[in-house]
Amino acid sequence: MNQFVTLLVGGLCLGAIYALVALGFVTIFRATGVINFAQGSLLLLGAYVVGRLHESIGFWPAVLAGIAAAATASMLVDVLLIRRIRAADLGTLAILTLGVDILLLTELTREIGTDVISIGAPWGSNVVELAGIRVPASRVIAGVVALFLVAALAAAVKLTDWGVAMRSAAEDGEAASLMGIRLNRVAAGAWALAGALAAVGGVFLTSFPAAGVTGGVGLIALAAIPAVVLGGFDSPEGAVVGGLIIGVVSVLAAGYQDELSFLGRGIGAVAPFVVMLLVLLVRPSGLFGTREVTRV
Amino acid sequence: MSRRLVGTLAVVLALTVAACGKGGDDDSDTAAGGVKTGPGATADTLTLGYLPDLSGVFAPNGKSMMEGAKLYWDAKNEGGGICGRKVELEVQDTGYDPQKAVAAYQQISGDVIGLGLVLGSSITAALLPSVEQDGMFLNFAGWTSDILPNENVAIAGTTYDIEAINAVDFLMREHGIKEGDTIGHLYFEGDYGENALKGSKYAADKHGLKIVEQKITPADTDMTGQVAAFRRAKVKAILFSAAPPQAASLAGIAASQKFDVPIVANGPGWTPQLLDTPAADALAANYYVVSSMAPLGLDADGVKKFLDAYQQTYPKGTPSSNGSLYAYAGAQIADAALTKACEAKNLTRQGVLDALHSLDALDTGGTVAGKLDFSDPSQPPSRLVYIAKVSKDAPGGLEPLGDAQTAADAEDYSF
Amino acid sequence: MSRLPRFALLAAVGVVLAALPIYLESFWLQTGLFAMGAIVAAIGLTLLVGIAGQLSLGHAFFVAVGAYGYAFLAGQDVPDGPAGLGLAPPLALIGAVALAGIAGALFSPISGRVRGIYLGLASIGLVFLGQYILQNATGITGGYEGVAVEPFRLFGFSFSNTDPGDLTILGVPYGRLERLWYVGLVLVAAAVWYGRNLVRSRPGRALAAVRDGEIAAAVMGVDVVRYKAAAFTVSSMYAGLGGVLTALAFGRIVPESFGFLLSVDFLVMIVIGGAGSVGGAAAGAIFVTALPLILNRYSGSLPLLAEPGSGGLGASEFSRFLYGAAIVAVLLFARDGLAGLAHRARRSPEVKERLA
Repeated sequence: MNQFVTLLVGGLCLGAIYALVALGFVTIFRATGVINFAQGSLLLLGAYVVGRLHESIGFWPAVLAGIAAAATASMLVDVLLIRRIRAADLGTLAILTLGVDILLLTELTREIGTDVISIGAPWGSNVVELAGIRVPASRVIAGVVALFLVAALAAAVKLTDWGVAMRSAAEDGEAASLMGIRLNRVAAGAWALAGALAAVGGVFLTSFPAAGVTGGVGLIALAAIPAVVLGGFDSPEGAVVGGLIIGVVSVLAAGYQDELSFLGRGIGAVAPFVVMLLVLLVRPSGLFGTREVTRV
Repeated sequence: MSRRLVGTLAVVLALTVAACGKGGDDDSDTAAGGVKTGPGATADTLTLGYLPDLSGVFAPNGKSMMEGAKLYWDAKNEGGGICGRKVELEVQDTGYDPQKAVAAYQQISGDVIGLGLVLGSSITAALLPSVEQDGMFLNFAGWTSDILPNENVAIAGTTYDIEAINAVDFLMREHGIKEGDTIGHLYFEGDYGENALKGSKYAADKHGLKIVEQKITPADTDMTGQVAAFRRAKVKAILFSAAPPQAASLAGIAASQKFDVPIVANGPGWTPQLLDTPAADALAANYYVVSSMAPLGLDADGVKKFLDAYQQTYPKGTPSSNGSLYAYAGAQIADAALTKACEAKNLTRQGVLDALHSLDALDTGGTVAGKLDFSDPSQPPSRLVYIAKVSKDAPGGLEPLGDAQTAADAEDYSF
Repeated sequence: MSRLPRFALLAAVGVVLAALPIYLESFWLQTGLFAMGAIVAAIGLTLLVGIAGQLSLGHAFFVAVGAYGYAFLAGQDVPDGPAGLGLAPPLALIGAVALAGIAGALFSPISGRVRGIYLGLASIGLVFLGQYILQNATGITGGYEGVAVEPFRLFGFSFSNTDPGDLTILGVPYGRLERLWYVGLVLVAAAVWYGRNLVRSRPGRALAAVRDGEIAAAVMGVDVVRYKAAAFTVSSMYAGLGGVLTALAFGRIVPESFGFLLSVDFLVMIVIGGAGSVGGAAAGAIFVTALPLILNRYSGSLPLLAEPGSGGLGASEFSRFLYGAAIVAVLLFARDGLAGLAHRARRSPEVKERLA
């Protein structure tokens, strides 16, 4: 029983990080209708900047630099590329971001090369004990930060001018721009925000107990895709729930691998995708996505 | 309409002209200076093909390997080469993509006397049919016994299953594991991990131990679930056949759970850079490496020579047992085979293969454990390993525990 | 355009293509065979994405079904290894294509209900599921060790280096690659011909209607669910055929070749070529498949690129850069891909005439 709780807590903490990454996807989708396949490389960019700078300027300034770098890069993608073909269809825009992802990832993995770059987090390998369960401090902090960011984002979207602008742009772009909302500004802001979220997720993904920033980190965003899909692409609540579900599923599947061995081995990697497919069968727009109801 | 026709014909003509000049394979067995030569050997050069991964999943290893290879061959060429011939390398990046590898092989196969390095089992598997047909030797940058028996393949050292058997033996000798205990095995899907698992299962059967398996892929970087599963099964030790990122995660999480058990890894499970990560303390406390590639701190002539040369040539680089040192050792083996072939006045591909199989006590100065015996294509050239413990002060982060050794189980094991 | 000159043009091209194995070295033949496998599969994807409007990132899964299906149906039983049924290769080819089509049809409960981008992303799950099956169902797939691919045989003539062992044409020894070239040409020609006809036929137009507006199409009486399922089935059959050709080109297949990156490759092929265009799919397939291999080959002579192993910008990284840049450039400046460019180039003289 204790083991199950440990697994659950571990899964939830990992899921919180996935939720951060998924939230980045959803933010961009809601504001501009684009599936941003470049989230993975932005994540890696943020983590890489922190990894390279923390020794010379300290961890926290490096984190700020990493967030700034990822946010700027993300915004540039929107301003320089997406903006030019905003009217194109979903698939085209998604593939464009795929191209950007390939470019960024190739350059970053070339820079990282053979290194394993430590992220230099001050909480190092500390462990926290909660009700008899030991969890790495970095994971607890990740969970807390993720919760805070999700709440802050939800509040901002509901209460601030910017949030209102974003929601109306998402619902009806033409009407919104007629009302004086600068669509381009809203879009750029959303992209920058997604980049920042990716960077934060990247820092936590490369903290203890991970080794650090390696070339393979960029592919982790791929693991967040089941989270976004099953949660519903345009729902922040869906992103969070989806992220948590995926985190828990992968950890439980790994933890109970012996019991599940009749299905073959190594099920931890593929379980999230299976869960995603099953959810889609029952709810084709994800758990919280807006359902298009059409009857002819 | 006629414009299109002219345009098409022009393109066709250009293609034909560009691609002209093909005959059969240039299989000239001409004699040069009394020595029979074949493809890849002329009067003043010997050409070796190198097919590492320089841009894909194993790019770090591949690049490190090329450092070691260049180190060896540059020095050899300065000393006059092999029987008066300079050794040239034809390097092609496979990107760990079987398609690229096959195309790259087709490109270089006519010019080389053998393959000095092929990185990756799936790459080697894709190439073997052609390599066997072309009759050349292949230095396999991997240590799986699944590839045996094979006339054309040379492994530098022993195989993962034998390493695992030795690991179990070490745990029983030095860490109090006894009959009836349970040990865990965390392994990669694929030839590496599953081959090691074969060995651990064999040893476990023999000694009445139970193995708890956890299969993972290189994309799995969080070992929370796996550690929990091991704890639930109450394992007393963990065998590790995966890569450094997983090692850090495993050791770190185990330490955070106060799960204090020894972890014994195969060679590819270590890189000195792990000592710069937050998991360094956990690794220094409990991590051991069993491998036929020498730990860099080993007091042996060959290893010292390699380290000196490396530090001179690449002052900013990081030498690695599975990377640069491996390729260096591979070059030693190729050197021995080529030299012997030349002495036998037969520098054809078959001649080199015969020379390779005639080596039965090759001493690499300690870079590879034991004296290498290539006479039986169904056996790896050695069954000896080095056992090392992680240590923050030792070069390469590994402190050797004794000399090259092997367990009785490992000697009896048949593939 | 009158028919006779067009026919003559096609015949000339055909003769040249058939003569190529006499001149091309094995590197080019090998690259060409890989490209041909990619062309066939890419045509399937362009039909699905361009005509039927269904985004799919799971194409690699169906290619794998075709490749492994052929290896299983045509292969011999290996002791302690993957099983095989040992059927005649032409039968195995048809069987493999059928298997891929069935797999496509089985996916239709999801493809029928799930829309647009959700479908694209759901299909990613297929690829990972496929990888999992390939690695674990070792009795059939051989797991990580892969499986040998039985050479193609037709009426006793083997498309390998034996049976006959000493075939020379015009002084050139005709080995496995040279012989497979013709299998590839025939399959590509058939795929292109059928694809072109499909686009112009009634089902093709129905699919286009579905793409342009599912609701409107349903109003017009098109059975949307059935057509989407059919689109997936046909597209998967193309993928399966491409898989068989790729397997034959390799000689031995391993699971790594059929991962997510391959699916991305196919999408890129049709984006660059122009979604919905059969000729464009072929052009895109050649670009994506051959570019890295060619860059790799000539990395020594190109000034910018460092020799492999020397630490600078290597050919593989450069080709990845080119790849990503090509996607961005095409989407920004030539949305209809190469097919669109060709179409515009062809049209302008006529427009000029009309305006003059």
